[in-house]
Amino acid sequence: MKKFLVALATVFTLSGAAHAAFPEKDLTLIVPWSAGGGTDTIARALVKNAKKYIGVNVNVVNKTGGQGVVGMGAIKLARPDGYTVGLITFGLSTYKLMGLSDMTFRDFELLQLLNQSAAALSVKADSEWSSLEDLVQYAKANPGKVTLGHTGAGVAWHLSAAALGLAHGVEFNFIPFDGGAPTRSALLGGHIDLAATGIDEVKQLNDAEQIKILAVNADERHPSFPDVPTFTEAGYGLDAPILDWRGLALPKNVPADRVAVLEEGFKKMFEDPDFRQYCEEVGLMLVYEDSEGFEEFLTNMENVLAPTLEATGLLR
Amino acid sequence: MSIMYLLEAFQTIFSDLSSLMFILIGVVAGIMVGCLPGLTATMGCALLIPFTFSLPPVQGLLMLMGIFTGAIYGGSIAAILIRTPGTPAAAATLLDGFPLSKRGEAGKAIGIATIASFVGGTIGALIMSFMAPQIAQFGLRFGPPEFFALAVFGLSMIISISGESLLKGVIAALVGLLITTIGFDPLSGVPRFAFGNDNLLGGITFIPALIGLFGFAQVFRNIEKMGIVPQVRSKVSRILPSFKEVKTLLPTMFKSGGIGSVTGSVPGLGCDIAAFIAYGEAKRTSKKPETFGQGALEGIAAPEAANNGATGGAMIPMLTLGVPGDAVTAVLLGALTIHGFQPGPLLFRDHPEIVYPIFAGMILCQLVLLGVGLAGARLFAKLINIDIKVLTSIIFLLCIVGSYSMRFSFFDVGLALGIGVVAYFMSYAKFPVSPILLALILGPMAEQNMRRAMMLSNDDLSIFVTRPISATFLFLAVLMAGLSYMKYKKLREIERKVAETTAQDAVAK
Repeated sequence: MKKFLVALATVFTLSGAAHAAFPEKDLTLIVPWSAGGGTDTIARALVKNAKKYIGVNVNVVNKTGGQGVVGMGAIKLARPDGYTVGLITFGLSTYKLMGLSDMTFRDFELLQLLNQSAAALSVKADSEWSSLEDLVQYAKANPGKVTLGHTGAGVAWHLSAAALGLAHGVEFNFIPFDGGAPTRSALLGGHIDLAATGIDEVKQLNDAEQIKILAVNADERHPSFPDVPTFTEAGYGLDAPILDWRGLALPKNVPADRVAVLEEGFKKMFEDPDFRQYCEEVGLMLVYEDSEGFEEFLTNMENVLAPTLEATGLLR
Repeated sequence: MSIMYLLEAFQTIFSDLSSLMFILIGVVAGIMVGCLPGLTATMGCALLIPFTFSLPPVQGLLMLMGIFTGAIYGGSIAAILIRTPGTPAAAATLLDGFPLSKRGEAGKAIGIATIASFVGGTIGALIMSFMAPQIAQFGLRFGPPEFFALAVFGLSMIISISGESLLKGVIAALVGLLITTIGFDPLSGVPRFAFGNDNLLGGITFIPALIGLFGFAQVFRNIEKMGIVPQVRSKVSRILPSFKEVKTLLPTMFKSGGIGSVTGSVPGLGCDIAAFIAYGEAKRTSKKPETFGQGALEGIAAPEAANNGATGGAMIPMLTLGVPGDAVTAVLLGALTIHGFQPGPLLFRDHPEIVYPIFAGMILCQLVLLGVGLAGARLFAKLINIDIKVLTSIIFLLCIVGSYSMRFSFFDVGLALGIGVVAYFMSYAKFPVSPILLALILGPMAEQNMRRAMMLSNDDLSIFVTRPISATFLFLAVLMAGLSYMKYKKLREIERKVAETTAQDAVAK
């Protein structure tokens, strides 16, 4: 009997040791935006080769609604066992400031930054303006006349354009659309004079010479768009650019050893050549920051956003 | 677009039978996805994209297009059999499909839906193949005022789908419009009527509402009737519509297919709106408009031809401009990008090797759909011969899974159940539920674009009547509303007279 108990204990300890290996089942990646959209596509491309780097598959689950609040809330409240990872996006920088939710990045265990996207101001190819200078001169002479379409109130592109207007005393007539695609078609159809979008969102149209990108709101030129000047180069710089971002995060209180495994695994997926190639094709700028760098970036972003949100009347 | 390229593309597809197999797999999988309420064409495509990673791009796309085509058609099967549209695009189909099914003619209804989907889909595919650039330019002329006018025109269809009482239909539509104001306002970024609940920030989402209004409500009605009303049996002997019936429906199918293709090609409209517009148009021009809602064959042919026509239409702006026509083509756009093709004006010039097989594949998808659909009609129609207790349990389960799976949210299941209870009692008070659905589709479009247009014009209302497309749609809406109202009055008048005479006859006797 005693022997049996010892044997039993050994079996349990052994299986216990086996359990310590993490991860031993597939992971879930919560994406707060709908299947097939830009963020979702990036998420799926990122975890495509997961098995090679972390030993298990990563299943993408889309929990959408409320401008990302629902999905990010689900990440925050997920069981902190490391099996649920979340993709967090720009909205998290604005929810609290805009009074949509009390959630901020401080409610998460940050894993890493994935990418930053810069805002571009574009006009139709046959527009009379061919530089930011032309546009600003016209807009100053005709305050409120220039119609500027953007992808939604409080989105990075809207705030970038608003910051430009505030800093240089230009008055635009802002028209919010429901996402990137309707904004692009409104620009092509001549319903708006100017569009504020992510620079990667207008890549094909720029390549096809259907539109002209006047300037990009970033510190440096975008490698895929070497001819497009930054706001500063065009003569209308801002103190700090407002950048859209995407990153990975966990709920709080995940055991440290598991966080380390995930950090390493996702970094490898991030460096996968297939993923890199895909991002290059769509003009998506990958930027890596570890959890510390990510946190610093997000803290700065809140400081940059608050005054712009206040001036546009979105601050609550 | 040269016909030679297209023929060459057909040759490429036929030279490798695996391409045909992928179309077949796609169409069959699409029909299954479409049949199940809550699983939409968008989800079907999005879930399958990872599987296409490993396929050659053309075959991956053919399979995705097969799913798109199959799912939009498959939605009608659930609409006809269990009064729950499998996809939003089939919402108009149930108006006449379910009454037919109740008469034991489910097979005929499915047969007509199949043929109409084939005709409409083929028209859409042909328009896409030969007129894509021109149609795309037309779609771009739709700005905020045009979208608003079109939404108003669409809302005038309430008259067509209200059933017995126009007033009750309008009340239902207004309730629907009110519901659409719940949630984050995309224009100002302010949450409305969310009561601090994160789940309501995104508004009442469409799929749970659809499942509640139709699926759960039907479950409750079935439970009520169980054991009291004898179950309808499908007539299995004559399952398919006769050639003569199809022939008389052909003009409706052609017209609706055309309406669908053009509607689908305007970015942001999509299959569901196309179906309602075609249904209203078919009823307006019908010789027997009073049969609509009672199981009119035209009432199935029109929306089914239109929604499948819209699949081809929706591909047009996606391929030529890189702007998706609807949610499904947005997913297809993602798939093309993953395979290294950037849809947009350069795609035709740089990658004809992918463009022409897409055209050819779309046409082939329709043929495969016709074959699978007609072969399956008999089988599908027999589904309602399952014992009603079993069938109702299955529908109940599907409704729960369907409302959960859109956002993986139990909140949505509760929401759908709640809406189902309301819809069940509405049917007692003879309130039609379809106007609610129409309002849910068109409400946000009307509201947002009205406000956008006012921003563009600096609050000058004349923007709606000085732009030709907008003015035309608004005029049509007023005309339709006026004419239909007069017709409706006349009909009521006749009915009253008939009732009076019968009453007098009864007294005389």
